[in-house]
Amino acid sequence: MPSTEGVIVKKVLPLIYVIDTSGSMFGDRIASVNEAIHELEPILREKVGEIPEAEIKIAALTFSSGAQWITANGLVSLDDFFWNDATAGGLTDLGAALKELNQKLSRNSFLVSDTGFCAPVLIFMSDGEPNDNWEKELNNIKQTNKWFQAARKIAIAIGEDANIGILTKLVGSNEAVIQTNDLETLKRMIIAVSVSASMLAGSSRMAGDAASGSMILEAATTNLDTDTFTVAPEVADFDGPDLMAAGTQDVWDDSGDWN
Amino acid sequence: MPMLEQGQILKTISGVRIKVEQFIAEGGQGEVYRVDYNGEKKALKWYKPEALRDPILFYDNLKTNAAKGSPDKAFLWPDAVTEKSGGTFGYIMGLRPEGYYELSKILGSKKCNFVSFKAAAEACIRIVSAFRILHNNGYSYQDLNDGNFFINPQTGDVLICDTDNIAKNGTSTGILGKPRYMAPEIVNGKGKVLPDTQSDRYSLAAILFLILFNNHPLEGSHWVMVTCMTDEIAEKLYGTSPLFIFDPNDRSNAPVRNLQISVIERWAFMPEYLKSKFVTAFSQEALKTPGKRLRELDWLQVLVRFRSDIVRCTCGNEVFIQNAATTKCDVCGKPVAVTHTVKLPGYSITAAGGSRIYRCMLGTCNADEALHPVAAVVTRKDKPGVLGFRNMSGLILNATTPSGKPKQIKPNDVIPFNPGIVIEAFDKKIELQ
Repeated sequence: MPSTEGVIVKKVLPLIYVIDTSGSMFGDRIASVNEAIHELEPILREKVGEIPEAEIKIAALTFSSGAQWITANGLVSLDDFFWNDATAGGLTDLGAALKELNQKLSRNSFLVSDTGFCAPVLIFMSDGEPNDNWEKELNNIKQTNKWFQAARKIAIAIGEDANIGILTKLVGSNEAVIQTNDLETLKRMIIAVSVSASMLAGSSRMAGDAASGSMILEAATTNLDTDTFTVAPEVADFDGPDLMAAGTQDVWDDSGDWN
Repeated sequence: MPMLEQGQILKTISGVRIKVEQFIAEGGQGEVYRVDYNGEKKALKWYKPEALRDPILFYDNLKTNAAKGSPDKAFLWPDAVTEKSGGTFGYIMGLRPEGYYELSKILGSKKCNFVSFKAAAEACIRIVSAFRILHNNGYSYQDLNDGNFFINPQTGDVLICDTDNIAKNGTSTGILGKPRYMAPEIVNGKGKVLPDTQSDRYSLAAILFLILFNNHPLEGSHWVMVTCMTDEIAEKLYGTSPLFIFDPNDRSNAPVRNLQISVIERWAFMPEYLKSKFVTAFSQEALKTPGKRLRELDWLQVLVRFRSDIVRCTCGNEVFIQNAATTKCDVCGKPVAVTHTVKLPGYSITAAGGSRIYRCMLGTCNADEALHPVAAVVTRKDKPGVLGFRNMSGLILNATTPSGKPKQIKPNDVIPFNPGIVIEAFDKKIELQ
C-alpha cells in the first residue's frame, strides 16, 4: 500500500515585488516597506505555506538609478525567503525595472518549473515620477512578454506625489491602483495585498466576480495555451498488479464473550 | 485587525448574550472568535461589512437555517444568529475540537496527514453520509471544497464547517464555489448557472478522489503542461474540456510519470470496484450532464466495501485485500491470510474483527437506510482469533446451519462464525465462508 503522505504536485505562484527605492523613498517610507515585508514573512509562511493550490515563490526587484534584484538567483521559496532591508537613494528608473522584469519573466530565466506556474502576481510600489524612458520599456514588455500580460498586477501609490496615471498604465486598470499617504496603512496594505493575492487561487468565487475580479486580476488572456498543450508527456499505465491467492477456511463451534 | 474586542457584548436575535473572548482566525468573508454563549464556549463567525454580495438575503437564509436546526451532527451548523451591529452580523456555532484539521491542511501534509487509509476511507464515508442527509433535506451546500471540512486524521471523523452558504436547493446565495471544485457547468455558466445538488455531487466526487488518490481528478498531463495557468486555460481544464486523468477512452490527460508519483502509485493499488466508480463519476457523460452524476448511495456502497477490505499486516503495513482472498503484503511480502469471508449478494468481503455489514451492501435500498447496520463480525474477548457474527439489525434474522437446520438470531445476539451458515436479511442472503 502506498504511503498516505504522498506529495501533491503544485504549480508555482510567483509573487514579485517591484519596489521604488529612489531618493524620495528615503527615511520612513522605505523603512515602512522593509518593516512590512519583515512582518509578511511569517504571515505568508503560516497562511499560504501549505495551501494545496500552489507553491508560493517570491522575487523582489528594486529600482532607483538603475534596477537591481534583491533575489538575484530567481524565485525563492517561502522557507528560504529572508528580507534584507532595502535602502533608498538615487533616481526613479522605472524603465530600467521594466526592462529587467522583461528579461527575467521568461522560461529561460526565473520561470523554470516542471509543473508550470499560476499567473504571476506583480506588486508595484512607487512614490514618484519616473525619470527614464519608462514608456518604451512598458510598451515593450506589454507587447512581447506573455507572463506580464497574464500577470495579476497591482500598484501601491505611496504619498501624494506618486504618479497614479503612470501606475494605472503599468497595471492596466485604475481599479488595481491603491493610494495611501499614511505609512501604517501602507504597511497593512502591502501585507493584505500579498496575502490576498497569494490566496486568490483558493478563495471561493461569487456570481459576477469575473467582472469585479478584474480590479486586480488584469485580464489574463493572450494565446498562452498555444504553447501549453504541445509537448506530449510520458503517461502512466492505468493497470495495477493483480494480487490474488486462494483463501483458507476453518471451522469451529463455540459461544462466549465477544468484543 | 480583529473587528470585535475582547469582552465585547453582542446579542442573538432572540436576546441571548454573547461575550467575545478571543480572536481565532480570519477568512475571506469574516472572522471567527471564541465566545461565551449563555455559559457555553462557542465559536462566533462575524462577517466583514461589505463582504457579502446580498447581506439581506444572506441574513434571512442564516436565520432560516438556524431556526430549522442542523440536519446532522457532522455539521457545525448555525446555532443562533446575532442581531445586527456596526452594519454587520454573525452566527454562533460549535468550536472545532482538538485534533481536527482543515482538509486543505491534511492533503499532502507531512505533519497531519491521515494516519491510515482506513481513516481516509472513514472520512470519505462520513462526508458522503453527511451530504446525503443534507441533500435529502432539500439543501445544497453550494461551495463544497477542501476548506469545508475539519477532519480528525487519526480516526477519520468529520465536521463540516462553513455551513452559512447552505441553502434550499435552487436558491442563490451569490456564491459560485472555489476554483477546481466548481462543477464544469458552473465554470462555464460564468455566474449565470448557480450551484445546486448536482453541482455539489461533482465537488463531492472531486473531494473523495483527492482524499483517496492525493491528486485532483482533472489535473493530469494537460494540467502539468500548462506553462502559465491563466483564467482562460483554467476554464478549459475545469469547464469546457474537462477530462478525467484516468479516463479509459482518452488517455491524453493521464498523470505524468516521475512527477505525479503519488496518484499513479495509489491508482495501481486501489481495488477495481473503487476505481471503476471514479471512472463513472468522472466520465465525459457525468462531467457534462449533471443529472448523470453518482449519487451519495452509490458512493456509500463502494466506500463501505473498501473500508472493509483494508486490513493491517503483522508488519504494520495496510493491505488492500483483493477479491476477499488472501493477499500478499506489498511491504514484507507475507500473505495476509483471509481465513473467513462474508458472501453478500454482489460480492464478498473480508471477515475480521470489526468488519461491518450495512444495509446498502445488500443491494438496492432507500438512501435513508444505507448506513443502517445489519451485522458485525466480532472476536472472542478471551480468544481474539475466534470470530463471531453479531446481528445488529434490530430485527430477528433467520439463518440456516450448514446441515440445513433453521435457526433464529435475535437482535444483538452473536453466533459462531461457521462457514456454511446462511443468514437471511432484508430478503437477501448473507453467507459465512
